[in-house]
Amino acid sequence: MKDKYLKISEINNYIKSILDNDKFLNKVYLKGEISNFKNHTKGHLYFTLKDDTSRISAVMFLSSASKLTFEPEDGMNVLVEGRLSAYPAQGSYQIYIDKMEVDGIGALYIEFEKLKKKLAQEGLFDSLHKKKIPKYPERIGVVTASTGAAVRDIMSTIKRRYPLCEAILFPCLVQGKEASKDIVRQIKRADEFGVDTIIVGRGGGSIEDLWAFNEEIVARSIYECKTPIISAVGHEIDWTIADFVADLRAPTPTGAAEMAVPTVLDLNNILDNYKIRSNKFIKNYINTKFINLRNLKNSYVLKSPMSMYEIKMQKLDTYIDNLNNNIKIILNKKEQELDKIKLSYILQNPKALINEKRNKYSLLVNTLKLVNPLGILEKGYSLVTIDNKIIKSNKDLKENDIIDIRLHEGNVKAMVKEIEKG
Amino acid sequence: MEKTFENALSELEQIVKELESGNVDLDVAIVKYTEAMKLVKFCNDKLNDATSKVNKILTEDNELKEFKTE
Repeated sequence: MKDKYLKISEINNYIKSILDNDKFLNKVYLKGEISNFKNHTKGHLYFTLKDDTSRISAVMFLSSASKLTFEPEDGMNVLVEGRLSAYPAQGSYQIYIDKMEVDGIGALYIEFEKLKKKLAQEGLFDSLHKKKIPKYPERIGVVTASTGAAVRDIMSTIKRRYPLCEAILFPCLVQGKEASKDIVRQIKRADEFGVDTIIVGRGGGSIEDLWAFNEEIVARSIYECKTPIISAVGHEIDWTIADFVADLRAPTPTGAAEMAVPTVLDLNNILDNYKIRSNKFIKNYINTKFINLRNLKNSYVLKSPMSMYEIKMQKLDTYIDNLNNNIKIILNKKEQELDKIKLSYILQNPKALINEKRNKYSLLVNTLKLVNPLGILEKGYSLVTIDNKIIKSNKDLKENDIIDIRLHEGNVKAMVKEIEKG
Repeated sequence: MEKTFENALSELEQIVKELESGNVDLDVAIVKYTEAMKLVKFCNDKLNDATSKVNKILTEDNELKEFKTE
């Protein structure tokens, strides 16, 4: 009786074996939303997949989870691939996930962020690479669909604001699989055709509709384009990769046209301003010259040239008077000096001067006599020389030397007879 | 090559600034003023040209055709 009762583990293991042997359940593809997400410390992921009415437990072991290219979180819609099996300990069945990717818009969003990060790192968005949009373009290339609001808005706005600019459409697909390639091709055509500015864009739509403008090839072709590009994709709130790479981002297609061209009205104002300034200048200038000329004509010199002459004459007279006066003064002074000299003592008593000079002279002669070396001979001394050398010692002489003796009166020659010793 | 609107405008700006700097002789001033007036006229004519450019489309055969938006 007791035999018909099974242990819990037995029934759970039985169910597990049925599930494991089912061909279908060995590989199932599910889509659903993540909830109750738990990232176990060991790196295994546990969560629930659900749709509007049902839920299923899910496990993703580290070996598979490590290959994920995104961070799963609650509320995320995912596509998963795995096998279905039971977990006997809990009496539950669950999906063991091998692969998981983000579903739909979520996937696009992640792709967008990934590409944005990559291109930013490469420097494609750097302001350094942004080209200046010409102020007064003569020709604008428009890369967008040939139908729809965008092309109409862009072209009519250009024409309305600045009719001297030519707008050339380079028609392309703006959504669908082929769109990105078509956009790239037309950007290149516009670049090679030779325009001043290129507007690339389309009207509003869902993120999938705008997706072509988030493709890498479009971003790179915008970056490589030599002509400045204004991007205008969707509405103000829609930011695409193209917007980040473009030289200028416009919120809407109409906005792009407004950024691309000035208005005739503004330009007329600028021109008027130049005209007014030029006229004002020339008027003032000529006026100033007239005033200068009048002033010159009215000047004292030109009005009465003789007066100039008169002034000079008067000056000359003054000079001559001054000159005469000065000469008189000098003559007087010199005359006075001459009188003074005439009255001087010397000129009055010339004899006294002569006597004085004579006395001074005999005094000098006597003094000279006193110091004259030969003067001493007068007193009876004599001077002995040989060969004009004065002899001071008998050592300078030898016997038979002829010596000269100079007396006070006359000279004699003598011969040395003997040299006394001692 | 035909003078562009942009060139004419910047030339005009240059001349007006030069005149206003006050360092010009009378003869030069009059020549420059005349030139400025010519440029103003040129720009005005361009801006108010009745035969404004038509929108065009570059076809796949590299033909420029008139393009009319509906």
